[in-house]
Amino acid sequence: MMLIHKKIPSRLDIIPGFLTEFTQKLAPLGLSEEELFNVKLSVEEAVVNAIRHGNRQDPSLFVEVAAEAHNGCLTIKVVDQGEGFDFENVADPTHNHNLAKLSGRGVFLIRKLMDKVDYFDCGRGIKMIKFLKRHSIKRNDKDA
Amino acid sequence: MKISQEKANDTVVCRLEGEININNSPELRKDFEEIIKRNEKKVLVDFSSVTYIDSSGLATLIEMLQRLKKIGGCMRFSNMDQKIKNIFEITKLHKLFDIYETRELALKDF
Repeated sequence: MMLIHKKIPSRLDIIPGFLTEFTQKLAPLGLSEEELFNVKLSVEEAVVNAIRHGNRQDPSLFVEVAAEAHNGCLTIKVVDQGEGFDFENVADPTHNHNLAKLSGRGVFLIRKLMDKVDYFDCGRGIKMIKFLKRHSIKRNDKDA
Repeated sequence: MKISQEKANDTVVCRLEGEININNSPELRKDFEEIIKRNEKKVLVDFSSVTYIDSSGLATLIEMLQRLKKIGGCMRFSNMDQKIKNIFEITKLHKLFDIYETRELALKDF
């Protein structure tokens, strides 16, 4: 079941509005409050990174966000039009010498809050998966 | 996000309400800067009505803690919802900040 597929311009100010729309589209999945919080935060961090670091806030470039629920998994892809990044060498923000740094927590949070995270297309795209619990899947099956 | 301030003895209690996100973090920074300009050294942030925080919100709080420490001040947090507390624990920022269950406990410990 496709939940949302949207192209958004590279503007940070539209993110809260987009996230409200995005979380509303997840309603049929019956996620718990905590699951919804974690998915919302992961999507925000991915979209912010795509706009800020990927597209470098170039208003002529877009970020594509797609979410679908299938076979007990919520899969979300966020793709930018930038140059990609070295996703295998991201500093651990929880190391003592990084703890007080003001940036570098987005990728870490996504990896911790989602069940599976993969990058593709040289880091231009991120695929995040949340395994849906039994109650969510049942409701999903009913809708299908 | 709504920000309200009150004074409890020599401590500024800052009550935040709603989401702390990339759009309103600058507003939060501005309010904290005003507190620091007033030379207030004890700041308690009451999280009881905070529903969401992202990495930009975390960064703003770290920055303000650093600035308060520079002038010999300190900042404490109280009344965090478990979802918010979880973010501080995952990022290990609970090691950087003093987090209390209640406002009273935090005030007592200043």
